[in-house]
Amino acid sequence: MNAPRIALRSFSRAQLTSKSSLLGARIPYRCLSCSTRLAQTHQFSAQNGADGARTTHFGFETISEDSKDDRVGAVFSSVAASYDTMNDFMSLYIHRLWKDHFVRSLNPGINPLTSSSSEPQGMNILDIAGGTGDIAFRLLDHATTIHNDQTTRVTVADINPDMLAEGRKRSLETPYASTGRLNFIETNAEKLDAIPSDSVDLYTVAFGIRNFTHKDTAIREAFRVLKPGGIFACLEFSKVQNQLFDAVYKRWSFSAIPLIGQIVAGDRDSYQYLVESIEKFPSQTEFRDMIRDAGFVIPGEGPDGEGYGWENLSGGIAAIHKGMKPIGA
Amino acid sequence: MATCCRRPFLLSSTSSIRKPPRAPRRSYQSSTHPPPPPYTPEASSILSSSLRHVPQHGFTQTSLTLGARDAGFLDISTNLLPRGVFELVNYHLMNQRLALKDTVQFPEEGKEAGGKKTGVGKKVRALLLARLRGNIDAGVVGRWQEALAVMALPTNIRPSLAELARLSDEMWFLAGDVSVDTSWYTKRASLSGIYAAAEVFQTQDESPNYKDTEHFVDARLDEVQQVGSTVGQVAEWLDFTGHAAVNVLRSKGVRI
Repeated sequence: MNAPRIALRSFSRAQLTSKSSLLGARIPYRCLSCSTRLAQTHQFSAQNGADGARTTHFGFETISEDSKDDRVGAVFSSVAASYDTMNDFMSLYIHRLWKDHFVRSLNPGINPLTSSSSEPQGMNILDIAGGTGDIAFRLLDHATTIHNDQTTRVTVADINPDMLAEGRKRSLETPYASTGRLNFIETNAEKLDAIPSDSVDLYTVAFGIRNFTHKDTAIREAFRVLKPGGIFACLEFSKVQNQLFDAVYKRWSFSAIPLIGQIVAGDRDSYQYLVESIEKFPSQTEFRDMIRDAGFVIPGEGPDGEGYGWENLSGGIAAIHKGMKPIGA
Repeated sequence: MATCCRRPFLLSSTSSIRKPPRAPRRSYQSSTHPPPPPYTPEASSILSSSLRHVPQHGFTQTSLTLGARDAGFLDISTNLLPRGVFELVNYHLMNQRLALKDTVQFPEEGKEAGGKKTGVGKKVRALLLARLRGNIDAGVVGRWQEALAVMALPTNIRPSLAELARLSDEMWFLAGDVSVDTSWYTKRASLSGIYAAAEVFQTQDESPNYKDTEHFVDARLDEVQQVGSTVGQVAEWLDFTGHAAVNVLRSKGVRI
């Protein structure tokens, strides 16, 4: 009953979006290895070249930068309700292990027994693109149960009101709903005006940065809001290292995932976008360099460049990147 | 110091002004050019202040957190150390290894009283004891069992053994050993074994000034010498007997 309604909403939103965008005259027909779409893509870039408008990629499509936020918004509005079910199906439940590992490796929270001040002072965590609260609840769970820390706060920021609404709904089932430790704000990660500079201990973004129009701007914004010594941590899909495994994985992601999306969530296009955006995301080395270029110190990397500066999960399907804002920056 | 195997370094195509300057990479370790410091300045400052908390808090995340605070960082900054507590153990091992060349000084060749040279064996003994003394001076002996447990974790076994190999290599280098035959391997293997055993012994040692550890080291060194000379004698005997047998057969007209 629910699924068709979502599909309808996504359709109308996408239509609305393409009308309001500069160039999108109609919704491009999207499927893999389809000559119609290829032709459209060329047409798009040709137009962009003529108008001098800046372009970015939306999956394998090239679109104008102005319309990317709307298009991504439409995707996530349409998948918000079935987000978790779909993640379970697509990753065969492994995304839960990745997220658990991500939070455990970050080790958030301050034990009040070891705290230097008499007043317990928890961490201030900012979870970007964490609308449904997946990471936020785990961060709070870890801080509370491992460090017995009742004061660490998480601010969940997302650009998409539908995802935030889903997170708010879910937060009511957690013990943190009325403690004031959980806060939801709607904001663009490239312009965190609501967050003062040098105020955040830990900035997390899990499976979100892929969808940003300007990833470098977002990373620089993270650098601004973090306290010196604060950590930028990103869990994101990445490049599979083993070629044989990569072939199997590509087959799975390009054939099975849109199909599962169609059957379970009634929305093929959104999941087609998902796999294409994964393919377009920079490799581990490139992304590490982006973080370093924003001024972060990369962990696990000696002065002579040894070590890798990231951690691969499941052979590189996902990767954890971290960076520390240096003291005195 | 011997050559050390390294992964081929992937040069990234994107260059930036902010990147820290890179030391030129060599495929060998030079004895005239000091190697670059193993940790970034940030990681070093966290680790060195963390080591001061080890006598009280042991090789634990708590030591790291307190160390990070002392160094002016946040609690979360310990994420700069991806291997967590193992980095603290590794930092101690590296520091002690690199300090050996400064803490142990041998009189120059021929200048010793009576013109007698210090034997390589004596030098190795001095280096071994100096390295074990390093654990006492750093105050980690009482907590070293925790470190051994951390090193024995499956993911940490390889880097730990590599560090042990580098330590025995360093000791033989400083002792002035220049062997280029198979004894290069046996020497390093036996010294690694002795050191690892002595370290375990040291954690249980309650004698004043760790005298028992010293006796333990002497006993093991003697054993290695005995085994070494026994193996050498057996080899010599086999060599002689073999040649004799061949000659006897030749004298009987066998064409060999």
